[in-house]
Amino acid sequence: MSTTGLGLDAGQIQAQATSARPVTGLRANIGRILRQRSALVGLIILALLFSIALFANFIAPYPETRSMLDLHEPGVHTRDAPCIHILGCPTTRAEHLFGLDGNARDEFSRVVYGARVSLVVGFTTVIWSILAGIIIGAIAGYVGGWIDNILMRIMDMLLAFPALLLAIVVVTVLGKGLTNAMLAIGIVAIPIYARVMRSSVLTVREQDYVTAARALGDNSLSILARRVIPNAITPIIVQGTLGVGTAVLEVAALSFIGLTAIAPAAEWGSMIAQERNQLFTSPLLVFIPGVFLTLTVLAFNLLGDGLRDAFDPRLAR
Amino acid sequence: MVQRPAWLTRSAMTMVAAILFVACAGPAATPSPATTPAATNPPTASGTPGQSSVPSSTPGMSPSGSPEASPSGSPEASPSAAPTGTPYPDSVVAASEPNSITDSYPNYGDPIDCAAGTWNGRPYSGTVKSITATDDHTVVFTLCAGDVAFLSKVAFSVFGINDSDYLIQHAAAGDLKDGMNGTGPYKLDQWQRGSELDFSRFDGYWGDPAVAATAVLKWIIEPAGRLQELQAGTTMGITNVGPTDFATVSGDPNLQLLQQGGLNTLYLGMNHNFAPWDNLDVRKAIAIGIDRQRIVDQYEPPGSEVATHFTPCSIAFACTGDDWPDTNVETAKQMIDDATNGAGIDTTLSYRNVARGYLPLPIDVATDMKEQLAAIDVRVTLDEQLSGTFIGNANSGALEGLFLLGWGADYPDVTNFLDYHFGSGCTSAFGDCYPEIFDPLKTGASSSSDADREAAYTEANNAIIANVPMVPISHSGFANAYLAGVDGAQASPLSNELLFAMTPPDGGDQIVFTQNAEPIGLYCADETDGESLRACEQSMQSLYGFKINSSEVEPSLATSCDANDDLSVWTCHLRDGVTFHDGSTFEAKDVIASFAAQWDAASALHVGNTGTFEYWGGLWGGELNPPGPCGLANTDPCPVTP
Amino acid sequence: MIRFIIRRLLASIPVLLGVVAIVFILARVVPGDPCIAALGEKASPATCFQFRARFGLNDPLPIQFVTYARDLLTGNLGESIRDGRPVTTILVERMPTTVELTFYALLFATTVGITLGIISAYKRNSIGDVGTMMIANLGVSVPVFVLGLFLAYVFAVVLKDSFLTLPPTGRLSPGFQPLPIAVAWGMPKLSGPVRTVLDFIGNMYTVNGLLTLNSRLFFDAIRHLILPAVALGTIPMAIIARMTRSSLLEVLGQDFVRTARAKGMRPRIVMFRHGLRNALLPVVTVIGLSIGALLSGAVLTETIFGLTGIGRTIYESITGFDYIVIQGMALLVALIYVAVNLVVDISYGFLDPRVRFS
Repeated sequence: MSTTGLGLDAGQIQAQATSARPVTGLRANIGRILRQRSALVGLIILALLFSIALFANFIAPYPETRSMLDLHEPGVHTRDAPCIHILGCPTTRAEHLFGLDGNARDEFSRVVYGARVSLVVGFTTVIWSILAGIIIGAIAGYVGGWIDNILMRIMDMLLAFPALLLAIVVVTVLGKGLTNAMLAIGIVAIPIYARVMRSSVLTVREQDYVTAARALGDNSLSILARRVIPNAITPIIVQGTLGVGTAVLEVAALSFIGLTAIAPAAEWGSMIAQERNQLFTSPLLVFIPGVFLTLTVLAFNLLGDGLRDAFDPRLAR
Repeated sequence: MVQRPAWLTRSAMTMVAAILFVACAGPAATPSPATTPAATNPPTASGTPGQSSVPSSTPGMSPSGSPEASPSGSPEASPSAAPTGTPYPDSVVAASEPNSITDSYPNYGDPIDCAAGTWNGRPYSGTVKSITATDDHTVVFTLCAGDVAFLSKVAFSVFGINDSDYLIQHAAAGDLKDGMNGTGPYKLDQWQRGSELDFSRFDGYWGDPAVAATAVLKWIIEPAGRLQELQAGTTMGITNVGPTDFATVSGDPNLQLLQQGGLNTLYLGMNHNFAPWDNLDVRKAIAIGIDRQRIVDQYEPPGSEVATHFTPCSIAFACTGDDWPDTNVETAKQMIDDATNGAGIDTTLSYRNVARGYLPLPIDVATDMKEQLAAIDVRVTLDEQLSGTFIGNANSGALEGLFLLGWGADYPDVTNFLDYHFGSGCTSAFGDCYPEIFDPLKTGASSSSDADREAAYTEANNAIIANVPMVPISHSGFANAYLAGVDGAQASPLSNELLFAMTPPDGGDQIVFTQNAEPIGLYCADETDGESLRACEQSMQSLYGFKINSSEVEPSLATSCDANDDLSVWTCHLRDGVTFHDGSTFEAKDVIASFAAQWDAASALHVGNTGTFEYWGGLWGGELNPPGPCGLANTDPCPVTP
Repeated sequence: MIRFIIRRLLASIPVLLGVVAIVFILARVVPGDPCIAALGEKASPATCFQFRARFGLNDPLPIQFVTYARDLLTGNLGESIRDGRPVTTILVERMPTTVELTFYALLFATTVGITLGIISAYKRNSIGDVGTMMIANLGVSVPVFVLGLFLAYVFAVVLKDSFLTLPPTGRLSPGFQPLPIAVAWGMPKLSGPVRTVLDFIGNMYTVNGLLTLNSRLFFDAIRHLILPAVALGTIPMAIIARMTRSSLLEVLGQDFVRTARAKGMRPRIVMFRHGLRNALLPVVTVIGLSIGALLSGAVLTETIFGLTGIGRTIYESITGFDYIVIQGMALLVALIYVAVNLVVDISYGFLDPRVRFS
């Protein structure tokens, strides 16, 4: 299972497909090693990205917003080509692995700091989305009745719009900005977690130990917190891992169409957008952040797949 | 089975209830529920007590103004306007009909009272007093005050002349914006929505015929996309080469690059109603604290220049007075530190991410400004706003921090730049108007003597430097690119490139030109975007026009327009033997109808795309029967804004 | 069966009503002034009031909603604030671009995706399998806008002047004017609904090319469609490939397949006769559900490749505060989405006898 940048995430598609499909057959084991290996690859990439993000101050030779024009070096101009000493760039010039961007800032430093933004964005978005989804799903599943009905109908309505379009509208309503973009992407993903949570609650609710707890006088809230949520957490973690990839991608997409407005901070999506019209003259400025963006999403997808294979009881049969 | 429909009905009803609830609760939460309905009262025929005889003048209603006045010639008409053609008929339709075309406008009600600023008891802020045809080839424009920019204004494509019958017919049908019936060298064959406009040579054109038999005007929004098409040879010319693509174009032997200094100004604004901009020393520090040369060198196309004055110097009287002071970062930092006891300033820098002629790379420039300001202890947070929000905030004076904005010329006259920003009715963006600046501007605008004007603008420009309402940054240049084989390639400072004068390469018979966007509508009297105007200019003509690649005026449908001594009466002699694309003959009544349609908000011809005819108000001060400040009728109350 | 369909139809009514309301409310709460957006920065407050009055935007929200709902019932989606044209006209004009793009993207996604899936399952754990799945993993992770820009760069710049070069923008070569179908068929005077339908179809240039036997038009349109369709279709392609593979592997592990194989049937026959037929069910679902994703992706794809379709129109109307167009387009997209879900559900019932219509 995996995520797409398109709004409707692949997890969602496949969750619907697989839930409709009777899962009776024996899962062939042969592909498992392959998949687990890819999960390992995902983990390694992620570890790398995390270290880059964590140690950005040490890795990046310049602050991400520092314009080389401020240094008053002669001959520096915006979008200067990369200067790498071991590849023959004269050592009299300062080294810039990926060259300079449109504001004469060191592209390498910006890419490095961009990792920080993307990871923070991905995790924050998913965590808030999961929290909201858990609450809504839990209430819907546990209380049932017309409240369940209304909540799930609202979730249906959210799903009735392609996610990116809905996110664009939400950002336009709330105003441009990274926080609002994260809020929007989060809102769009709520139904996925709410549904997972609700079905978990429905399954758990009728089980003996919950009935027992209720008979013993536990109130609803504590039953929810102590019995139901722990049982539902596994599928949510799996969904969430895939969701981080989606979130990174969608926030980048919003950045690309200019809705996050986080200049001068370094964010891969907006870095691509800003140099888009220079695609034919300075392609590196477009493709380097693009490659990092793809790698990040890929890593979360690979890891999410691996987690699902390892944890999802339905598929572990 | 019985239960299911019941369930569904229930949930459906819940939904409807929820919708109604939300829909009704919505406005209750908005600020002024009580005043909103009041603001939408339909205009009534009865005026307020003080204005009892005021006609409501909504289109289609007959006015209660005096119907007997059938002015056969405005008393103000210059006697020097000797008739050259056959006498013009008294009136085409009864004068009591406000929509009718007559030999003079306004053709109903009292004469306009310029001094009182009223007409028929209604306020009138416009500068046009009457437009009268003395014969079918002479039209006299009488103004409330002298206007040195008259020719530049009438040359603007917004005032293109339409056939009066065509106007009447298509205004009624409501499809003026979908087509054109002009007098120009190309006639419009079709508008393929979403892709291009197709023109063909008009054989009955009065001047030199179009070089190419057909012309195509298309559009691609992205500069990179336009360049691609040009490199592929599938278009022959493109507008606005991307700032980073200049080298690509000039290095390509198959292409030619035409650079042009732009008639625009980028400025860094600040509102002196807010602290710390109320401190003149702070404003003066900002004035010298920015390396404007660096902005021009790094972020603007070649051909751009650092602004020595607010108005670009190619405009007459623009650059009288002192040059803007030189950059001096150390002094600026010292001034900021002195003014703030060393604390520096924390503020925002607002901008919008919309590329404009005056600001091709908004984010890049804003980012660089931030860096530069930090060096003089002004720490700004970038505040990117949606375009509409940003302009609204600027115009209402709501931007408390610094802001990046600019101005592109509507018509090439110094009044167009200075009066809007610093005149007595100045924009609120910089806070209260500066009397030191608007006093000399008033003199400058109404004076016919060059010496007086020069003195006035010198004073105004120096007052701008002394008061620093904003910091002019640059006049951004631009370039168009063409295939090397195109003859007569153009880069117009007013962006009215005329396809009829371009020769396709290799003896081709079709010229293809790509601009930035699709026109919004083709009735340009009611359009403001350059893309619509460029489309109109291919087919429509005004009394005067602009020389190719220049902002100088030249006669077009008028062979000449002569002024009286104080520049308040202009007599235009119309060209003979001009026909419209539909075959009808060009006459004085067409001029009257074309102007009256824009001038009189109550006219049945006053229908375009938005119905606001903005440029009329912008260039001639105001409409006849103007909408009240807050509604269609002058008496409509204003909504209470939070 | 009929009852199942009716029930599904009824169940989508509350969702649709909700969508109508949400669209309306969202469109109203978009901050910013449609007047400034439409009239430009030089518009005065009085002008703006007048402007808003013309579109009923000064009315209280409930009145606006009633007007909106009433118009909706009569099929009137209102007029664009920006250029005063009816939204339905804009739809008829721009929809074909998106329909055509989506169709070719889906075509690419299914043919390539299923083929890759089959190869991968058939030769599982081979180099081909690993390679295919790597492509699928990468394909599902690469942002549409990065892929789009990359394709444009490679095929328009790197391969310029080679026979592989493809145009990076537009739908047809400049100056190439396709005739409306009605004109091509010798009925230029045709008007009314038939003309509208014909124009709509004719605006899908490849269809126009086929119907009017204009091969030049057809191939020119195809050339322009390749890059955007591949960019847009890559993610669904990757999902379909993975889905096909896993569902094939699952089916192949089932008893009846093993029986068939035990009977000595050749593996390839087993694969196609038993495996594929049964494995395609979930794939069909994925294809249906991808349509929503494609509509989202169309916003980015159309922006990058300069196509004036629904996606781009939505984006432009949102940034230009064109409420009326936002409403119309969002409603349309939601409708398509709900309808596609409906069709998927129903077709599932047809395809899989195990799914009961209860």
